[in-house]
Amino acid sequence: MSEIKLNKISRDYGQGIFGVHDVSLEIETGEFMVLLGPSGCGKSTTLRMIAGLEETTSGEISIAGRDVTRLAPRERNVAVVFQSYALYPHMSVRENMRFGMKMRKTPLDEQDARIARAAEVLGLQPYLDRKPAALSGGQRQRVALGRAIVREPDVFLMDEPLSNLDAKLRGEMRQELVRLHRRVGKTTVFVTHDHVEAMTMGDRICIMRNGCIEQVGAPLEVYARPRNTFVAQFLAAPAMNLVPATLTAAAGAVTLSAGPIVGPLPAREAALYAPAAGRALLFGLRAEDILTQPRPGAQPFSAVVTALEALGPENLIVVEAEGQALSARVDRHFLPRIGAEVTLHADLAHMHLFDAASGDALARET
Amino acid sequence: MRRALSHLGLILAVVIVIFPILWVFRTSLVPPQESYSTTILPSVTLDNYRALFAEKNFGRNYLNSLIVAILSVVVTMPLAAMTGYAFARFRTGGGLARFATLASQMLPPVALALPTFMLFRGLGLTNSLTGLTIVYAAINLPFLTWILMGFFEAIPEDLEGAAMTDGATRWGAFWRVVLPVAAPGIMAAGVLGFILSWNEFLFALILGGSNTATVPVALASLQTSNGVQISNVAAGVSLAILPLMIAAKFIQKYLVEGLSFGSVK
Ligand SMILES: Nc1ncnc2c1ncn2[C@@H]1O[C@H](COP(=O)(O)OP(=O)(O)OP(=O)(O)O)[C@@H](O)[C@H]1O
Ligand SMILES: [Mg+2]
Repeated sequence: MSEIKLNKISRDYGQGIFGVHDVSLEIETGEFMVLLGPSGCGKSTTLRMIAGLEETTSGEISIAGRDVTRLAPRERNVAVVFQSYALYPHMSVRENMRFGMKMRKTPLDEQDARIARAAEVLGLQPYLDRKPAALSGGQRQRVALGRAIVREPDVFLMDEPLSNLDAKLRGEMRQELVRLHRRVGKTTVFVTHDHVEAMTMGDRICIMRNGCIEQVGAPLEVYARPRNTFVAQFLAAPAMNLVPATLTAAAGAVTLSAGPIVGPLPAREAALYAPAAGRALLFGLRAEDILTQPRPGAQPFSAVVTALEALGPENLIVVEAEGQALSARVDRHFLPRIGAEVTLHADLAHMHLFDAASGDALARET
Repeated sequence: MRRALSHLGLILAVVIVIFPILWVFRTSLVPPQESYSTTILPSVTLDNYRALFAEKNFGRNYLNSLIVAILSVVVTMPLAAMTGYAFARFRTGGGLARFATLASQMLPPVALALPTFMLFRGLGLTNSLTGLTIVYAAINLPFLTWILMGFFEAIPEDLEGAAMTDGATRWGAFWRVVLPVAAPGIMAAGVLGFILSWNEFLFALILGGSNTATVPVALASLQTSNGVQISNVAAGVSLAILPLMIAAKFIQKYLVEGLSFGSVK
């Protein structure tokens, strides 16, 4: 058992500045929890508070049922993988891995066995006697991981460990980390500001903003049902399109008016959103839900193409209509000229509606 | 062609800088009556050096200088390391402590010389190497603290975080990780402190007697009422420069090493 419970924890820097404010979160044993959010939202602070490297000014932290709020980092049995790796520059790779075990007085033969095992898993055997300065970024990253693994801690805490790697290596390490997590099965908190990492790696993701949690849930669930416009926009690139909108209900039909997108809602959405008629709303639609072909329930509209990015497997286009810019993710064979007028189809079966003032999502069943 | 020209310029600059030193060295090797001649090496002799040690007790002065300079650094270093670390990591004493440390370097030494003399005379510390060591340690402390603070600030805090989550105490992290990583910087600072003490003249003159005279004091005393004994001075200066040259070599090495924590990122 090595669940982590954060109970209303805050980090108060004084003068009303909070790094983290009243955060409560329960991370289950063996779970891979991703903390996601923009720069400065308090991800690192939260992680460092769990590790004991940052003071918890109020609230409680417990790991494996033990209140660790006031314990020193070394008494918490957590291993941290830092964004900067923080390898000990004066020690060889082997000594780097050995350090934590030495501190904990692990028997020497056990130390050697664990180092050998970790080196094999991470492909570090050829580098064991090198100093960190003589390693590439990816190799250093593996050493940082290895140093954490050999400790066999209750909990892994990782602060953007992949952010220093190039795109290819990052993709490989992402999979390697997930594999490793499956094998070791340790509770892991993984900080990132990359939504792809969050979506692909997390059992659950926790989206933060301004020191507070915005939403916690399984990746696809959060993607499908963002609780507010911040989550909706943060969890994808391009961000979800948001257009000021109103609904009018008349004679059993509910009509949407969102910039260029005007038309009746499909039956299911109509029933769901009818109570919001007349309110100031934001209509949200993901880029992949703007289609180039008609589909039942999709509302056609015309717009002018203002930008096109051919990514290879697909194209991203930006179109403009009635002063609204919309991004669409379209087939790679759809290559309109810039300035051309095109007809697109807004798939209302996947629409989102948010309150214009608060940004909160209107209730949605599916 | 341009390379050749710029090299020529550089060589010229180097010659201008080291010429006086070379000339002093040359003067130390020629007989006194040739000191002021323009012949480069009329004849070579070690008599000047011999005279310096035999007649002027220069060996004693040299030893005094070494003892005082080394001891003052050895005494200061642990204190400076801990103070510098506290300044760098915990902002101990806030801006005021830092300011005071720096301000103490701005004070003209003369302002301190008389009070120190009065104080030390009362304590019986004048005319003793212990007294001089204490003064030099006091002069070195703020200086080394300042330099080491810079080195510690350059060490990423995450390194200590890693050590502490790995099971070390705060002190353990300092001792096992921060100090070894900062070692080149500490060495460089130590060498700088050594140079500072080695060259110090004012306090050595005021607080010392003939038994405790250091190299700078001894060299100054060669300027007698009968004129400057230039060949002895030249020999003394040549010897005085020796440790500085070795020190400069070390500093170069350590500064280059010390400033590249390349392996951290
Ligand atoms: N010593 C401090 N004093 C005041 N505010 C601080 C201090 N340290 C951090 N903060 C603030 O706390 C907030 C959270 O910082 P944190 O490092 O946790 O952000 P983050 O989510 O990890 O961002 P990034 O993605 O850039 O790493 C930031 O707004 C930061 O300005
Ligand atoms: Mg961070």
